[in-house]
Amino acid sequence: MQIRPARPIPVTAVGCASALGFSWKGFCRGINKREIQLVEPTELRGSSPRVLAAEVPPIPAEFDAGDARQHKLMSRAARLAAVAARQALRDAGISAPRDGVGFFLGVGASGGAMSDLLAVLGASMEGDGVSLAKLGDKGLSASNPVGTFHLLNNFTLCHSAIIEGVTGPNGAFFSRGGGTVFALMEALNAIDEGECDRALAGGADSALHPVTWAELVREGYLEPEQTRLGEGAAILALAKEAAEPIAFIEGCSLHSVSGSLADADKRAPHLSALSRLMAAEVGASSNVDLIALAPWGGPAREALRSFATDVCPEAKLIDTTAALGDSLAASPALAWAAAIDALAEGIAERALVLSAGIDGQVGSVILSSPTGAPLGGRS
Amino acid sequence: MSRAVITGVGVVSAFGVGAPAFFRALEEGRSAVGPIRSFDASAFPVRVAGEAPIETIRANWLANQAVELAGERNDLSRLFEGWERDGMLRDRKIGLGVLAALEAWAGAGLGATSADALSIIAVGLEAGFLDDLAAIYKSDNPARFDWQAERSAPLPRVRLRSPVNLPAECVHRALGLAGPLVVEVSACAAGALVIARAASLIERGAADVILAGATDSMVNPMAMGAFWKLGAPSPRPAPDACRPFDRRRDGLAIGEGSAMFVIEREERARARGARPLARVIGWGSTQDAHRATAPRPDGERARDAIAKAIRRAQIHPSQIEYINAHGTGTPLNDPAEVKAIRGALGEAAERVPVSSIKGAVGHLMAASGAIEIAACLLPLERGVIPGTAHHKERDPECDIDIVGESPRRSDVRVALSSSFGFGGQNAAVILERCG
Repeated sequence: MQIRPARPIPVTAVGCASALGFSWKGFCRGINKREIQLVEPTELRGSSPRVLAAEVPPIPAEFDAGDARQHKLMSRAARLAAVAARQALRDAGISAPRDGVGFFLGVGASGGAMSDLLAVLGASMEGDGVSLAKLGDKGLSASNPVGTFHLLNNFTLCHSAIIEGVTGPNGAFFSRGGGTVFALMEALNAIDEGECDRALAGGADSALHPVTWAELVREGYLEPEQTRLGEGAAILALAKEAAEPIAFIEGCSLHSVSGSLADADKRAPHLSALSRLMAAEVGASSNVDLIALAPWGGPAREALRSFATDVCPEAKLIDTTAALGDSLAASPALAWAAAIDALAEGIAERALVLSAGIDGQVGSVILSSPTGAPLGGRS
Repeated sequence: MSRAVITGVGVVSAFGVGAPAFFRALEEGRSAVGPIRSFDASAFPVRVAGEAPIETIRANWLANQAVELAGERNDLSRLFEGWERDGMLRDRKIGLGVLAALEAWAGAGLGATSADALSIIAVGLEAGFLDDLAAIYKSDNPARFDWQAERSAPLPRVRLRSPVNLPAECVHRALGLAGPLVVEVSACAAGALVIARAASLIERGAADVILAGATDSMVNPMAMGAFWKLGAPSPRPAPDACRPFDRRRDGLAIGEGSAMFVIEREERARARGARPLARVIGWGSTQDAHRATAPRPDGERARDAIAKAIRRAQIHPSQIEYINAHGTGTPLNDPAEVKAIRGALGEAAERVPVSSIKGAVGHLMAASGAIEIAACLLPLERGVIPGTAHHKERDPECDIDIVGESPRRSDVRVALSSSFGFGGQNAAVILERCG
C-alpha cells in the first residue's frame, strides 16, 4: 500500500527526544559518529542488570511539557511524545488555538510502573498464587488510581493533544515499526484530502520497560548481545502549504513480510526484494543520494544494506537503529528525523528511509530537500 | 470517485457467535448483560458484564465455531491447538476476533485471491496474566520480580501479558492474509476509526479491499479492576447496570466481543457479484484535548466530528434517519453527546431517532464503534432501529428522541454511528443503504 500525495507535503518542523538529546539538528552527524553513550537504563536495573541501552537523558525543564500533575498520569513514552510534540509545534510556528491540527502517532505497549504492579500483587497473593478474593478487595484498594492512564496505549498521543490543545483528526497505532509508517500515511492522506491543513505525525516508545523486555526475550526477538534497545520520540510537523519548509515528503509505502521476524533469517531475502519494490513505488529507484535505515536486528539490517548497495551504490548510508538502539514505535520516525537533518545540512538532496520492524511490516518514505526539485505524482 | 461498500460482516457478542444471533437479539429487544462467568468475580465491585457466552475459550470450541461460520478447514484446528499450547487463547479477544473475521471474510465470498488485502484492526489494552506474574513474584523481596525465572520458564510462549498486536496477527494468520497489518489503539473510538480509514483509503484508490474491524475484551480481573478505579462502571452489579440516556444512569457495563467488516471498492464488489450491505459515505474524527479524566461537557469536539462526517457524506443533517449513539450510560457522556448531536444536526436533531446498544451488550471498548456500526446495518437492511436496553426514565438533560427498550420499525436510508474514546478521541461514521 502506498500514499503519494498530489503534491509533495512540506515538513515544517521536527521534534525529537533520543539518546542524543532533544534536538534533531546535528542528528545525522551524531548517529554517524556514534556519539551515544550507552547506559544501564533506570527501568531495567532491577530486571536486567548490566544491560546497556540507549536511554534518553533526563529531560531538561526547557524541553519538558506538561505540569507535575500531568506528569503523574504519563508513561515514559507519553513524556517523550510530549517533548517532541511541543518542539515540533513551536518550531513550526503553530501557536494556540490549535483547532483542527491533525495528530497521528505510532505508539508502543503499556508502560505502567512496576511499583504499581507490585503493590497490587503484594496485596493479592495467597500462598504462591493470586487470590481473586484478595485481588477484588485489598488488591484493588492498593492499586494506583491513575495507573490506568499509564496503561492505555492511546494516551501516548492523548496526553500531548491535551497539553498542547491539538483537536484535529487523529489516530494512535500500535507499532513495532509499521504502525508509525501508517501514522505518517494517515497524516499525508488527511492533508491531501483536505481533512486538515496541518498535522503532526511520528512515533514514541520506550523498549526499556521490564515487561516489554521480557516479552521480547520470550518471543525470540531479542538477543541482548546483538540487539541494542532504546527509547525516544520523533514527531514531524506537516503542512499543506509552507513558506519555509525544511523538507518535503513525496510519498510512503507499507508492506508486510509474511512469517515472524523471529525467523528473521528466512525473511531477509524477502526483505531485500520488497525494499526494491517499495523504492520503486515511492519513485526512489534512482535520484536518491541518502538511504536511512531503521532495521530491527542483524538479518533485517543485512537485507536492507544489501538492497541499498545494489540499487543505489552511490547513496550515503545511515543506520539509525544501530546507533540509537531500537525503540520500536519510535524507530522509523527517528530515522525520518535523521534524514531531514541530512537534507537540511546539505548532506543529501533526496533521501529514502527504510524501516523493518519485528512485526514484519516494512515501510519506506521518500523525502527531498526544499532546495532540490522534488518529484510528485498521485497514486 | 469510487465509493467504499461493506460486503461482509462478522459479529461475536454477548448474544453469541455470528452476526445473525446479534441482529436477531437486537430485533427482539433483548439484553445480554449478566453475571460474569469467565472468572470468579464475587469479591469484585464489578460483577456483571456483557460477556460472550463461553467461559473458557479453547481450541476445539474455536475450531467448531469456525466450521459453522466459514466451512471446514483442517488447518485451523492445528493453528488453534498451537495457540492454546502457547497460552494465546487466554487473551479472549483473540478467539472472538478470529471468529468475527472468519465470518466477515466468508460472508463477502472472499478467498485466497484477496490474500494481499490490507487489514486495519482495532484492539484494546493488553490482557495481563496475573498468575504468570505471581509465579515470578518474590514475596521475600518485594522490591523485584525474579526475571531470571521468567526467562527460563517453559511454555506458554505468551506470558505476563498478551502483546497488543497479537489478536490482529492471529486474525491475519487464520485468514491466511499476507498484506500489511495496521493495529489501531485509539481506545473506544478505534472501532469506528478503522472503518473510516478503510473507506478513505478505498476512495483514494490506495487499496481495493480491506479487512477492517475490532476486537476487545476487558472481562478479566486486572482490566475490570482498572476501570473500576476510574469510576466508569456502574456500582450496581445488576443486569440493568448500564442505562443509557436514562435519568438514573450511573455508569457503564463492560462488554466484550468483536465486529469485523470486509470493505471494498463498490465497482469491484459488484463486478464479482458480491452484494453490498451498505455504503460508507462519511466520517470525521476530532480530539477533545480537554482532560485525561473526562470528556468535554459541552460536547463541542464530538459535535465537530459528527459535522465533519456529514460534510464528507455531502448530505443535509435532515437526511440522517438514525443515530447509533456512543451512549455509555455514564453521567458525563450522555448529556455531552446530546449536546454534540444538537450542535451538529441543528433542528434535525429534534426528529432523528437515537439509541444505544450498550445496555444490551455492554461497552466493548475498542470494539464498541465497530459493533455499533454493525448495529446500523439492522435498520438499513431490515428497517428495524435497535432499542436502548434499560432506558426507562427520560432525562431532561437528554431530551432528544431516544428510542426506548423496544426496537422501532422505520425505513432508514442513512445512519450515523458516533464513538468517543477515553482520552478524548472522537469519531463519527455515516452509512447509506445500497440499492
